[in-house]
Amino acid sequence: TRSDRSSGTRVSDTELRYVFIVCVSTAKDVTYICPFIGPVRGSLTVTNYRLFFRCTDREPVFGLDLPLGVLSRVEKIGAATSRGDVSYGLVCKDMRNLRFVHKEPEDSLKKSVFEVLMKFAFPVSNNMSLFAFEYKQVFPENGWRVYDPLAEYKRQGLAKESWRITKVNDHYELCDSYPAALVVPVTITDEELRRVSSFRAKGRIPVLSWIHPESQAAVVRASQPMVGQNGRRCKEDEKLLQAIMDANAQSHKMFIFDARPSVNAAANKMKGGGYESEDAYQNAELVFLDIHNIHVMRESLRKLKEVVYPKIEDSHWLSNLESTHWLEHIKLILAGALRIADKVESGKTSVVVHCSDGWDRTPQLTSLALIMLDSHYRTIRGFQILLEKEWLSFGHRFQQRVGHGDKNHTDADRSPIFLQFIDCVWQMTRQFPAAFEFNEYFLITILDQLYSCLFGTFLCNSEQQRLKEEVPKHTVSLWSFVNSQLEEFVNPLYVHYPSHVLFPTVGIRHLQLWVTYYIRWNPRMRPQEPVHQCYKELLAKRAELQKRVEELQREAANRTASSSSERAGSPTRSITPVQTYV
Amino acid sequence: MFSGKQTKPTFKSYLPPLQTDSKKSPQLPIKKLEAKLLPGEIVVNEANFVRKCISAESCQDDLWGKLVCTNFKVSFITHNSLPRQRFQCTHRLLGEHDIPLACVEQVVTVNDVKGKQKILGSNQKLKFNPTELILYCKDFRIIRFRFDEAGPESAKKVCLAIAHYSHPADPQLLFGFEYVGKRYHGSTGERVSGIDPGGGMQTTLFDCSSDWDREIKRIGASEWRVCTINQGYFISPSLPEFFVVPVSLADQDLKQYACFFYSQRIPLWCWNHSSGSALVRMSNISDPQQQRKVEQRISSAITKSHPLRSDVFKSDLDKNLPNIQDIQAALLKLRQICVIDPFEESEEKWLSSLESSRWMEYVRTFLRHAVEVVYMLESRNVPVILLEKEDRDLSCVISCLVQLMCDPHCRSLHGFQSLIQKEWVMAGHRFLDRCNHLKKNDKEESPVFLLFLDCVWQLWNQYPAAFEFTEVYLTVLGDSMWVPIFSTFLFNCPRQRAENSRVIVIYQITHFYVFFFFFTSLLYFLRWVPEAQIPQGGPITAFHKLSVLTDEIDMLLNQLRQYKGAGGTPNSLHAEHSKMYFKATSTPHQPPAPPEYLSSSFPFSPVGNLCRPGILGSPLSKFLNGAKIWLSTETLANETI
Repeated sequence: TRSDRSSGTRVSDTELRYVFIVCVSTAKDVTYICPFIGPVRGSLTVTNYRLFFRCTDREPVFGLDLPLGVLSRVEKIGAATSRGDVSYGLVCKDMRNLRFVHKEPEDSLKKSVFEVLMKFAFPVSNNMSLFAFEYKQVFPENGWRVYDPLAEYKRQGLAKESWRITKVNDHYELCDSYPAALVVPVTITDEELRRVSSFRAKGRIPVLSWIHPESQAAVVRASQPMVGQNGRRCKEDEKLLQAIMDANAQSHKMFIFDARPSVNAAANKMKGGGYESEDAYQNAELVFLDIHNIHVMRESLRKLKEVVYPKIEDSHWLSNLESTHWLEHIKLILAGALRIADKVESGKTSVVVHCSDGWDRTPQLTSLALIMLDSHYRTIRGFQILLEKEWLSFGHRFQQRVGHGDKNHTDADRSPIFLQFIDCVWQMTRQFPAAFEFNEYFLITILDQLYSCLFGTFLCNSEQQRLKEEVPKHTVSLWSFVNSQLEEFVNPLYVHYPSHVLFPTVGIRHLQLWVTYYIRWNPRMRPQEPVHQCYKELLAKRAELQKRVEELQREAANRTASSSSERAGSPTRSITPVQTYV
Repeated sequence: MFSGKQTKPTFKSYLPPLQTDSKKSPQLPIKKLEAKLLPGEIVVNEANFVRKCISAESCQDDLWGKLVCTNFKVSFITHNSLPRQRFQCTHRLLGEHDIPLACVEQVVTVNDVKGKQKILGSNQKLKFNPTELILYCKDFRIIRFRFDEAGPESAKKVCLAIAHYSHPADPQLLFGFEYVGKRYHGSTGERVSGIDPGGGMQTTLFDCSSDWDREIKRIGASEWRVCTINQGYFISPSLPEFFVVPVSLADQDLKQYACFFYSQRIPLWCWNHSSGSALVRMSNISDPQQQRKVEQRISSAITKSHPLRSDVFKSDLDKNLPNIQDIQAALLKLRQICVIDPFEESEEKWLSSLESSRWMEYVRTFLRHAVEVVYMLESRNVPVILLEKEDRDLSCVISCLVQLMCDPHCRSLHGFQSLIQKEWVMAGHRFLDRCNHLKKNDKEESPVFLLFLDCVWQLWNQYPAAFEFTEVYLTVLGDSMWVPIFSTFLFNCPRQRAENSRVIVIYQITHFYVFFFFFTSLLYFLRWVPEAQIPQGGPITAFHKLSVLTDEIDMLLNQLRQYKGAGGTPNSLHAEHSKMYFKATSTPHQPPAPPEYLSSSFPFSPVGNLCRPGILGSPLSKFLNGAKIWLSTETLANETI
């Protein structure tokens, strides 16, 4: 139905049964000014979790249903008219804007929808808790247990002779935005790590992210060194990087990937930061990846929204799209990740990746490189582990970047860093349709639930904060929801190639705008015919046929056995089983 | 001469190749380098010890061999092979290194020692000994040969031969006339369907009155009749001998009206919507005094054939659509940005330069116009007349698109081919002029048909499962314009084609690599660019999976059938004639290795195509930077620079 499409991915009513939902305000005779089909009249209901709009004068029934978390801004447009109409606009984080007009309620005691929206859409600004803390749905699986750092490092095949798991950050004393479990070279003591932490921005020292199962080449992440204008050095830091290089016998070199443009990196020296000088780090080669900062990315997405919503100007579509630079940023991020993956896989060289603080561009790069290098992260559960590890445990500031429940929509700390990453993953799924276990719907679900504040997964800024707020105790993990209905998210074309490294083509010619996400509200952008659906049908057909063939096989075998029993029965199985690896 | 014969599969070919020995085994005894020739094909000139450049950066991958010019193609024969693709598609008419002469856009000879270059035409002289030859192709390829070790005289001769034979003086010199190969579709009425011999479906040629009768019946256009007044092309050479008109118009009237229309082109019926609204194409009426009267008579006859007697809607294509020169200019710009501009530098501006080429805009304009026509036919339920001055270019595109959108039959392989036959070939699209096979009149050259294929690609991209054919089929169909064996794309009108009826018809040949269903637009334009390839990726990988799955289902169905039929155990030998391109493997425990040979360019190989420079400093880059030479032969002086 119409309403399904406009609400995107959503948790159904039945799942909200156990939930403490309060219908806070209902207004009848509200007009939704739809940019595509014109004004629609109906009733508007706001609860403490979401907003419904049901039209009353149109067939087929048109509806809107969105979680309040998705709102970044609610504003009255113009003053109340003489007829008593109020008009207000809702700016959403998911690439749309909504506009409603309704009569001011006569009963002045009854709160207006506007006030209710302002209160429940921005609970944090109103000293209330986010809806995730009210949501008590029980799922068969507990998603909070998806990621166990020790198990993950074990899976990677961490070599005990070169690497150790340190407890130095057990109580987040070394670095409050890092996880408790950190992997560092065995030759570096905890004391030395403490000294390194004073040399790296926000104490984010170089630690292991991933290790190549064969070559032992490592992907290491960090924040910028606090070099400053005077070119400060830190011998423990130098020793640490040397130890990282030594842990990989295959190469006598290492690469330091600084995600920033070199100009920005240099400008950071003024603020005490900077980058590794090649004098201090003799065998390291420094490479700048030219990826811009959070402000540039935010601006680019803002422009993109202007171009795609609500109206698309056909005649200048391509040049308008180009002027947003969105795809160019996507390209630079993918290109950076590709260089990292290539150095590790083809060059068997260890790499250190950092930007300024190491919590925005760094997780974009490391997690994309890891997806290219390790097919485990292309599975549904593997991808969850990747997000839990590279993004959540290593302190991507979700609260700040998304602004959960915060009405301060002009906050300069907001930026679509995570969205960009998901977009890059989507680009890769386009290029390698059979290499990912999950489908597009999985990626869209993650983004929708990032804003919805229904699940605790993307709350807070760091592991430490999530523990302090007892998020795992009081909220439900997104993965509980996802893993309880996996079949929704499976890519039917998936083939598991264990050691298949992906090297995507990052040219602009091969990047596409993710239309099914960015332009999904436009009814002209009907989803294209689902080839996946057709594939699923074929799979079902094959399963059915296989069953029938097996039955007949058995029958035939029985018949042969009984007829040839006197001839010392040797039933011939002459049917070659059809290979299945889906 | 006889090597064109296909090798029959033998018992041995079912055995897996011996893998262990093949690499270590000593080189095969050197065979003589011989061009594979088609029946009727003759070698015109050749040069030995020629080097084909494979990579722009270095010559270490270059291939040594013989460069041969025949009356059909430029062939390069070599012993060393390219880094073998494990899985290769073979073209039935062309080898890996062959370029049909008709596909050669420009022949450039260079002497890098003397710093000279010359664009060669037919019957020209060359005052220097070429050290290299660059062929710019219509399908966006650039191929380079070097003559460092070849005899200077033979190098010169082969270049001149290629230049001469790629500029035939008249259509009789196009190879199609020499080809004496298998006639897949003779005039005897014996029809061989390539895909499914013995199957019911085949491509309708619309060269006889019964074909039209069947079409009228299929569509249920009972108020329309076949008209035979043009038999022997007495009325108009550009109309088919048989065509369809409203029943209310008598032959006598038509004969009378004919002279008012542009080149006597009586309006042609294309198709009826299921509501009964007809789609008709019509040329301009040359005599302004008669215009009203004639138009009225035609319109009222069409109205009479409409179940609700609805008035006719006239759609003026010349006013609403780009003209053929616009389309040609757009393609030239597109070619510039796809292959000439330095690949890395053009990255940032790719989208806006794509937009500024206007190609996509034109594709959209045509599609939108077709949608408007569909709206008139379907929602307004009125008959539509497509008006175009000559009725031989834009109407072909629009009428086909309308039918593709409304009539599922046209989206089957044979339906599509029949549609092209009806609306392009029989309706007299000037393929000879538009393809500029004779390279005589550049003003008439225009890729109208390619634009049409791009429109179809867009439809297919939106509704992949609605089409029986795939992207690769469309690409191959586009390429066959440059293989002048197919009469389809050789002539300007049905009469010319009929007069030269020795030539075979394309359709049975187009499925060298036709896939089942489903495959992105990048394939056509970027397939030759090595940098634009996604190794082991691209939509082909999904297609591969789909084919394998479909094939598995086919096998299972077969087994079931055998169980039911024989009641015994079926034999396990999997049908070698499986429809699917990629087959299910019946080896149960083979690890699912990613198919190495698959890339986004599949089945085309960009190896050896130098269409893009990333290669500053190499001699080629000089020409590519001054690449205007390729774009306009007229503006550049033909002598050395």
